[in-house]
Amino acid sequence: MPGRQSLAYALRRLAQAVPTVLVIAAMNFLVLQLAPGDAAEVLAGEAGSATPEFMAQLRKSFGLDQPLGVQLLLYIKQLVTLDLGFSFRHNMPVIELIGSRLFPTLLLMVSVLLISVIVGTLLGAFAARNLNRWQDNLISMLTVLAYATPVFWAGLMLIVVFSINLGWFPTSGMQQVAAFHEGFAKVRDIAHHLVLPAVTLTMFYLALYTRLMRASVLEQFSMDYVVTARAKGLTESQIARRHVLRNAVLPVLTMAGVQVGGLLGGAVVVETVFAWPGLGLLAYESLFARDLNLLLGIFFICTCLVVVVNLVVDVAYSLLDPRIELR
Amino acid sequence: MTPLHRLPRGLAIAVAVLVMTPLFTASQSALAQGSPQKGGTLVMVVQPEPPTLASYQSTAGPVGQVATKVYEGLLEYDFQLKPTPSLAQSWTVSPDGKTVTFKLLPGVKFHDGKPFTSEDVQFSVMEVLKKVHPRGVNTFRSVTAVETPDAMTAVFRLSEPAPYMMMALSSYESPMLPKHVFGTGDITRHPNANLPVGTGPFKFVEWQRGQFMRFDRNPDYRKPGLPHLDRLVARFIADTGTRSAAMETQEVHMGGFNAIPPVDVKRLQALPYIGVTAKGYEMQSPIVQLDFNTTRPPFDDVKVRQAVAYAIDRKFVLDNIWFGFGRPATGPISSNFSANGLYTADVKNYNVPNGVDLANKLLDDAGKKRGADGVRFEIVHDVTPYGEEWRRFGEYTQQQLGKIGIKVTLRVEDVPGWLRRVYTNYDFQLTSNWIQTLADPSIGVHRLYHSGSIKPGTVFVNSSRWNTKETDELMDKANVELDPKKRAALYHDLQKRVVEASPLVFMHELDFVTVHNKRVNNFPLSPLGLYSSMDQVWLAK
Repeated sequence: MPGRQSLAYALRRLAQAVPTVLVIAAMNFLVLQLAPGDAAEVLAGEAGSATPEFMAQLRKSFGLDQPLGVQLLLYIKQLVTLDLGFSFRHNMPVIELIGSRLFPTLLLMVSVLLISVIVGTLLGAFAARNLNRWQDNLISMLTVLAYATPVFWAGLMLIVVFSINLGWFPTSGMQQVAAFHEGFAKVRDIAHHLVLPAVTLTMFYLALYTRLMRASVLEQFSMDYVVTARAKGLTESQIARRHVLRNAVLPVLTMAGVQVGGLLGGAVVVETVFAWPGLGLLAYESLFARDLNLLLGIFFICTCLVVVVNLVVDVAYSLLDPRIELR
Repeated sequence: MTPLHRLPRGLAIAVAVLVMTPLFTASQSALAQGSPQKGGTLVMVVQPEPPTLASYQSTAGPVGQVATKVYEGLLEYDFQLKPTPSLAQSWTVSPDGKTVTFKLLPGVKFHDGKPFTSEDVQFSVMEVLKKVHPRGVNTFRSVTAVETPDAMTAVFRLSEPAPYMMMALSSYESPMLPKHVFGTGDITRHPNANLPVGTGPFKFVEWQRGQFMRFDRNPDYRKPGLPHLDRLVARFIADTGTRSAAMETQEVHMGGFNAIPPVDVKRLQALPYIGVTAKGYEMQSPIVQLDFNTTRPPFDDVKVRQAVAYAIDRKFVLDNIWFGFGRPATGPISSNFSANGLYTADVKNYNVPNGVDLANKLLDDAGKKRGADGVRFEIVHDVTPYGEEWRRFGEYTQQQLGKIGIKVTLRVEDVPGWLRRVYTNYDFQLTSNWIQTLADPSIGVHRLYHSGSIKPGTVFVNSSRWNTKETDELMDKANVELDPKKRAALYHDLQKRVVEASPLVFMHELDFVTVHNKRVNNFPLSPLGLYSSMDQVWLAK
């Protein structure tokens, strides 16, 4: 029974992931200690002034006066009970902070991933089918341009054109703060705000997947099974739809799975430019604030996310290509 | 609006730009025109996002911009830096300066409906500010008790006079908290830290992290008819370019503390609906400076320090790197303190046309002769990691010191790394920096020069580690001197001595700039500017 088999597979993979995640967490913890300065200094630095008594008190309440080994053990112990700790800078539990930022990040990520994989696959296949014709050349040119454009610059240019000059979209944020819409109006409002950041980030990944798909389709068309299919009397478009696309999309999926981690990182720039309240921006800010509990919490969530997405990709493989077995 | 109406306004802007002397006296755009209109949502951009709303334990700038709408202080201040009533309707200081009695305003209610009384004052000062506020520990160090003879009277008992304390009772420096809310539980991790309950004109509604904070009008505010606004929203936009764009598309109405950087201010100013003011920062008084490590060669030699002070062209740096937003500084105390007589310009003047020649001569005298390659000695210059201007300032310093034979290598780190280097390890020779001299020299200036402020691990204190017995004594006396004239004389003497010894190079008094939509009226009405409650601000329809 394949359904049961893949469930058992998924559970086994998840169990194997636990030690991996813990080791990554410990490594994150140790690597972050290499950065000079601590949260107390940054907090006091922002304040512009502080007394020595105040600094000592801060360090004590942050647990920074403990030896490093003790701090690490305490942290791992916390993690095992799924407690991500407390952000002293924000004065609230890390899990709440991350929770409030997870939805915007996922919204942006999922939109970008879906649009770029689907449109990229179609465009790539279309380009390959029109090899060396003007359609192919146009698509290739546009993708190279999109791929080579720095994300922050593309974002700012979209703001200049579509927000300042045309006034079609808001410059930034996730909702209109003067209005505070409710219900369906709020959904529309958020979608309206999502357009520019999603387009900016999609441009890069779309270009990547288009290139990848194009190459992959070309490769598949030179395979023996295509010759067989032609001999069977199938039309070119039947071959493309039923045989080639299925096989050609595998590398794109692999790439998309690997890039989920990178997408979180790449989102920092877009989140910054469009003031999109996601996790990437939070991670970036907490690094410069040396808010290590929060940063480690974000890393932990990202690690879990990457593990899960790769599992989903592996399962998707076996659905697309039944020859690949899950074990 | 017809084109005919537009012309005079354009002209007015042109004139305003022309006469935009560093003091911005000509910028009238923020002043009230016509009678206030009710209602509307004011959107301000606050940069960066505040880490917390607990203004009783974080003095980070952005916290002050939001928390002051909810909490109030005992006093407010006018542009002469004189205290004015707020939650305290009157106050008296005993002749020996050791007893300060505040009469509180009756009938004031917290946002949860409970009355504000002297119990709250006692709790806020003794249990919170004196214990966990970064500056409060210092401000209230001489306060031994706050007595509450009745609900509307709070009597501060001091171990010695503390004239500076009277300058630190605004909602920004010393917010008054409700005892019935914050009185229970650990104050440093209080559940209400980010659910503030105050007496101010706006009630806290929600904080969507990474997006905005929302404050709604307090209908029971103690001043009838105020606030004018229905709602105030603070937005957080991390990218500089996007902040400017949002100002341009009128999505946000105002942004201060250089949320819009000087380079964009010049561009936005040309728009007919954008106004600019540098008023409302008189109790911050930031000074840009270069800090020497005076304990190590070559800057342990006063002649070498003076040479650097002579070589740097303040006007050039101000005009070309900070776009003219400021005035050349003369010494450790900002000229904003001319308002209460503490400032003096009668000090050694390093702003001279032949500065480079004088510098070369001083270095020759100090025995730092030029080598065959024209280099006297080499140093590493740490650049403050606070943004583009600072890097350019570092590059300018590198070039300029090259002219007097000092070969400079630049080093740039991130903020925590830089703080650790300068304030804990003292592992630097020369660094750029900026310091807010705050509401009183006793709070903002002493920390940079007093021997008691050489505290490794504490930031923005005496990192140059320069000190003398005489200057320590001057500061100790000024701390407790009640007579304003005598106190001013002490500070004049201090300024002369510090400038002569030049433990830092005083560059310029930095003007923060508030950029605002011209629909915003009645701002700023006090030297606290964005740190005030903004209850009288109104938005034209």
